[in-house]
Amino acid sequence: MLVVDNLHAGYGMSEVLMGTSLTVKKGTLVTLIGPNGAGKTTTMRTISGGLKPTKGEIILDGTPVQGLEPSKIAHLGLAHAPEGRKVFGPLSVEDNLLLGAFTRLPHFFGFRAKAAGDLEKVYELFPRLKERRKQASGTLSGGEQQMLAIGRALMAHPKLVLLDEPSMGLAPVIVDEVFAIIRRLKESGITLLLVEQSAKRALEVADYAYVMERGRIAVEGVPAELEKNEKVVAAYLGS
Amino acid sequence: MNQALMQMTVSGALMGLVYALVAYGFQLTYATSKSINFGQGELVMVSAFFSLTLTDLGLPYYLMIPGGLLFGVVAGLFVERAGVRLALEQKSEGWILMTIILGLFGFSAAENIWGRDDRPFPTPISSDPIQLFGISITPLEISVAVGVFMIMAVIELFKRKTLLGKAFEAVSADRDAAELMGISATRTIMLSYGLSGLVAALAGILISPITTVGPTMASALVLKAFSVAVVAGLESGFGVVIVGLFLGSLESLTSYYVGSGWREAPGLVLLILALAVRPTGIFGKGVIRKV
Repeated sequence: MLVVDNLHAGYGMSEVLMGTSLTVKKGTLVTLIGPNGAGKTTTMRTISGGLKPTKGEIILDGTPVQGLEPSKIAHLGLAHAPEGRKVFGPLSVEDNLLLGAFTRLPHFFGFRAKAAGDLEKVYELFPRLKERRKQASGTLSGGEQQMLAIGRALMAHPKLVLLDEPSMGLAPVIVDEVFAIIRRLKESGITLLLVEQSAKRALEVADYAYVMERGRIAVEGVPAELEKNEKVVAAYLGS
Repeated sequence: MNQALMQMTVSGALMGLVYALVAYGFQLTYATSKSINFGQGELVMVSAFFSLTLTDLGLPYYLMIPGGLLFGVVAGLFVERAGVRLALEQKSEGWILMTIILGLFGFSAAENIWGRDDRPFPTPISSDPIQLFGISITPLEISVAVGVFMIMAVIELFKRKTLLGKAFEAVSADRDAAELMGISATRTIMLSYGLSGLVAALAGILISPITTVGPTMASALVLKAFSVAVVAGLESGFGVVIVGLFLGSLESLTSYYVGSGWREAPGLVLLILALAVRPTGIFGKGVIRKV
């Protein structure tokens, strides 16, 4: 579904990604873990087009997408729930979700009717969003905003979902809830690339994992293998 | 209440609605791109001249209006392409200078094409006053109010009721996140400049029969509209109408009671007051954010 090959990218003169390569197969959950500043979020931003790579290839479902505008890549079937949630604060919860399906809906009239079924599905997954669907999304709690960001990404019927730090800044009990949702998404066959600070939790749900260090993939493998790798355990799974 | 006072308030307020409409044009582009066209006044003026030419060519009034509006849209798109897009891509403030330059260019072009003199703008709408609650008001003035409210209602409905309109607000709230939803910020910004041009052209067509058309009509109008936009804040369409009405009547009262030389004063005083006391504007929203 997604092949990233020898990706180089950065901000101005400072190169952050120095030859990152990874693959996400259809219907699997792949996680990208590693320390702060390793380039995980930069990788995600480059895949979704927010950052132009200086070198390398990104193939989404057979189509090269490196260097395209983010809105183009979204039309090709990528949904990115970005770091920090980035919900449209002044807009209502429901409007946020509708905009998530922007690529599929008519732009003037009749979009509400066409999206009704998908809205129901998202509300079923996140009942709390339904309760608050008329509320300005900027007034939601952090956990609710995270759920909205995930729901918004799902509305697009994407081929691949990028989830960047879904647990950031959330209380442990909410993090449990978010990971329960991620597990459900995986079971329903959605292809996911997950970036996580909390390596332990990420490895629990993932089918395959990449460990990133200083702009490159340092170690990769199935979670069971990585959990035996002494270096990985010492650095990220300690105690 | 004093008859003259009422009369002055009402006719000033109608003028104020035109300031509000031009200010609304500022808001439209500010919402999507945090940029405004400093040549908006010239856009009003050039569109008015173009509409006048259409009339001179024999086009009836109600066919001239769509022609004039279309010209405004094209001019708005031109400003975006020529003056704004490159600057925004470079994340530079260059659009400020570029739109001022385009405005000056429009001003010189108008002087060369249409001359320096103010010219009357013919209209089939009567300017014979009718009495309404003891105030005399012309159908022409009423047409200004109707035109302003109609266009603003249509655009506000578009923003609230269509998905594209919501996309407008999404770009305004978070441009990067909107792109991730497949909303092209570039195209949204183009659209907002087109709409802003349309609004400017309509302002020109509505006001010209009352004030006449001339190259200098731009500067007075844009200064007032700018005051209205700053005082009301750059977010609320409702806000510019209220402040526009207020400023228009204040101006008219000032020139009646204090002297016509003081007509320009209230706008500037309001502008300075707003900048000193509440730079986000009376109706400017603080950002709602919970972390």
